[in-house]
Amino acid sequence: MSLNTATEAIEGGQLLRVLGRLDSSTAPVLEKALLGLLEQDGARVLVDFAALGYVSSAGLRVVLMAAKQARLVKGRLVLCELQPHVADVFEMSGFTRILEIAESEAAGRARLVAP
Amino acid sequence: MGNTGNTILELRLPSRLEAIAGLAEEVTAFLPDQPRVAFEINLCLDELLTNTISHGLGGAGDHFIDVRLERSDAWLEVVIKDDAPAFDPFAEVGPPDLDTDLEQRPIGGLGVHFVRTLVDVVGVSHEGGGNRVTLRKRLAGHAPAG
Repeated sequence: MSLNTATEAIEGGQLLRVLGRLDSSTAPVLEKALLGLLEQDGARVLVDFAALGYVSSAGLRVVLMAAKQARLVKGRLVLCELQPHVADVFEMSGFTRILEIAESEAAGRARLVAP
Repeated sequence: MGNTGNTILELRLPSRLEAIAGLAEEVTAFLPDQPRVAFEINLCLDELLTNTISHGLGGAGDHFIDVRLERSDAWLEVVIKDDAPAFDPFAEVGPPDLDTDLEQRPIGGLGVHFVRTLVDVVGVSHEGGGNRVTLRKRLAGHAPAG
């Protein structure tokens, strides 16, 4: 098992698709990809978790770092398409209350361009 | 536990983070009729093994960790044995404040919170050196006795 990411430019920012298993051994892959997209002032990133089957606290740590970074550069981080087990882990951590999470990719794209 | 008819899965893992994904596949195969329990126990195993490998063993990849699952009709019991310095993750880490806002939210401390949330009983002993962590989880359809 591993983790892969793919980036594409979309209206308002960047879309990062995350595929595979996000745990302590693969978290550095996401950390590099995601923080790399949040370096410039005003950077906006939509993360698509449709193909993410598993996340542990090591993965949540990266998402939290990215959310803090997005705030620092006055940008935006939106997550979308959390699958049931992944959504459960976000819920258990309380992260659903402090992160911007959209149900669908379409809703996520809309949040990214919202003022 | 200890009834005849219980099923058992025993594995010895190298102390490397990359070994955890393979363990998860074995656990899922061991609990084919309980996918939700398999997911929850895999998260617990991942969090505890990651702690042991990264912190308890300081990342040393040349140790072994024994994992044993025993399943009865009503319970799943998980035992994790390592040879790291004695440590009780449940005694030394308090519950995180889940209501803290984004700026103040500390990074870390969530793994043990997940384990506490997802299993019914946790225990730690240090007999004979190392750490022995025991988790017990009630299986669906079996109400608590009494």
